[in-house]
Amino acid sequence: MIELQDITLRYGTREILNNVSLTIEDNKIKAVLGPSGVGKSTILKLILGLIKPNCGKILIDGIDITQLKESQLYPIRRKMGIVFQGNALFDSMSISENLGFFLRENLKLSEKETERRVAEQIAFAGLEGYEDSLPENLSGGMKKRVAIGRALIFNPKMILFDEPTAGLDPVSSKKILGLISSLRNKSDLGAAIVTHIIDDVFQVADSVAVLYQGKIIFDDETGKLHDSTHPFIQSILSDKILEQ
Amino acid sequence: MERTYISTIPGRINLSMKEFFLTMQDFFLFSLRAFITIPKIRRYWRDFLDQAKIAGADSLPIVLVSSVAIGALLAVEVGNLLEDFGAKTMLGRSTALSVIRELGPLIMGLMLSARYGSRNGAELGAMKISEQIDALRAFGTDPVAKLVMPRLVAALIVFIPLTAIADFSGLYSAALLAEHYHKIDPGIFWNAVFPRLVFKDFVVGFLKAPVFAIIITLVSCFNGFIAQGGTAGVGRSTIKGIVVSSGLILVANFYVSKLVLENM
Repeated sequence: MIELQDITLRYGTREILNNVSLTIEDNKIKAVLGPSGVGKSTILKLILGLIKPNCGKILIDGIDITQLKESQLYPIRRKMGIVFQGNALFDSMSISENLGFFLRENLKLSEKETERRVAEQIAFAGLEGYEDSLPENLSGGMKKRVAIGRALIFNPKMILFDEPTAGLDPVSSKKILGLISSLRNKSDLGAAIVTHIIDDVFQVADSVAVLYQGKIIFDDETGKLHDSTHPFIQSILSDKILEQ
Repeated sequence: MERTYISTIPGRINLSMKEFFLTMQDFFLFSLRAFITIPKIRRYWRDFLDQAKIAGADSLPIVLVSSVAIGALLAVEVGNLLEDFGAKTMLGRSTALSVIRELGPLIMGLMLSARYGSRNGAELGAMKISEQIDALRAFGTDPVAKLVMPRLVAALIVFIPLTAIADFSGLYSAALLAEHYHKIDPGIFWNAVFPRLVFKDFVVGFLKAPVFAIIITLVSCFNGFIAQGGTAGVGRSTIKGIVVSSGLILVANFYVSKLVLENM
């Protein structure tokens, strides 16, 4: 379970997050919804310990990661997989090399087991025949599926998605959301999705937190979003895609 | 409009100084990390070989062209000067000292700063902008050990033979120019070179190779790691890496020569 407790983050004099508290439970899909540039991706980077908050605690399975050194964070990070907004695939490596890279780097598996897991993710992402292609030769949706496969290959407890459908065409978006929904069937896997597209939230999330002006203004089951009387939530429910 | 402390001149100076010292602190920790991770070289031996090829074999043409040009230029200019004093036969000695102690390593350092340093800065900057460095950290891999340390070790190893090649090609081109332009017999030229060179001359020249390797690799990689602001940011960080490492090479060149010549 991931818990953010009273997190405040400032860049210089600019306050990004103000006293944000959030819980992401195991085996559930949680969405963080908010307009562009409000600090949603920052929340994912905080969860991974890539940046540290000015104050507050981040508990991963009860361990406060804000107090840990970089080397102590590596085993904690391996409990989670992340799909970056721009995918962050290694452009000099083929698809199968991208998928197998972190297995070879961090787990002492046999080459046979590594190849088995890579083949499993290629099949899960529906990318058979593209094993030796470079990322630049794939479409946006295919790259996203490779990035999801790379995040899943460790068998993480939690997978973090940064704007999973941003910049994709409607068909690819549907495929990606279908892929995320299918993760429910995987045992012991939770997910956190940050997005500015409200339809994505309704399609895949069990619960949603709405981030607005650095604060969480709503945090409950997705279905209850319609009951909120907050003017910003009312406006996003009518506009569907958030722009600030 | 309210005038804040940050918008005043002392405020801006204060902020710039603070940013400068924070950057220096980050650079120190980054450099320390690169050295501490050297024992992991066996794990990243493929990256090391790739970088050794880029820094070594691939850099050979530019090192050869620049050192041959400098050797030839020295032979012509110094030869003309020595001719005025009737000391043309000393051309080999003066060229050898200039090339081995100073110009061979210096020109090689500047060329590698432009070639190897710019490649490091641009490649790592692009990786930073596209979140590939964050991905390495997020999935539990130390990006300094994976990306910087093999570059550092490769440069430390291959810059020494590159210096030797730069020295030899510079001297050889000087010998050719001495023969064909100043009509100095090659035997006289080489006889003025080798018997008179002492151990100290080689120490001055070859000590610069690892010093330049450290400066070029760490400065360029650090600037790549802190790149921000899209493709324009990658350009800015690459340029900064080349400018800073070239300046540091010139300063280090002077101090290495001074320290060795005064203490040996």
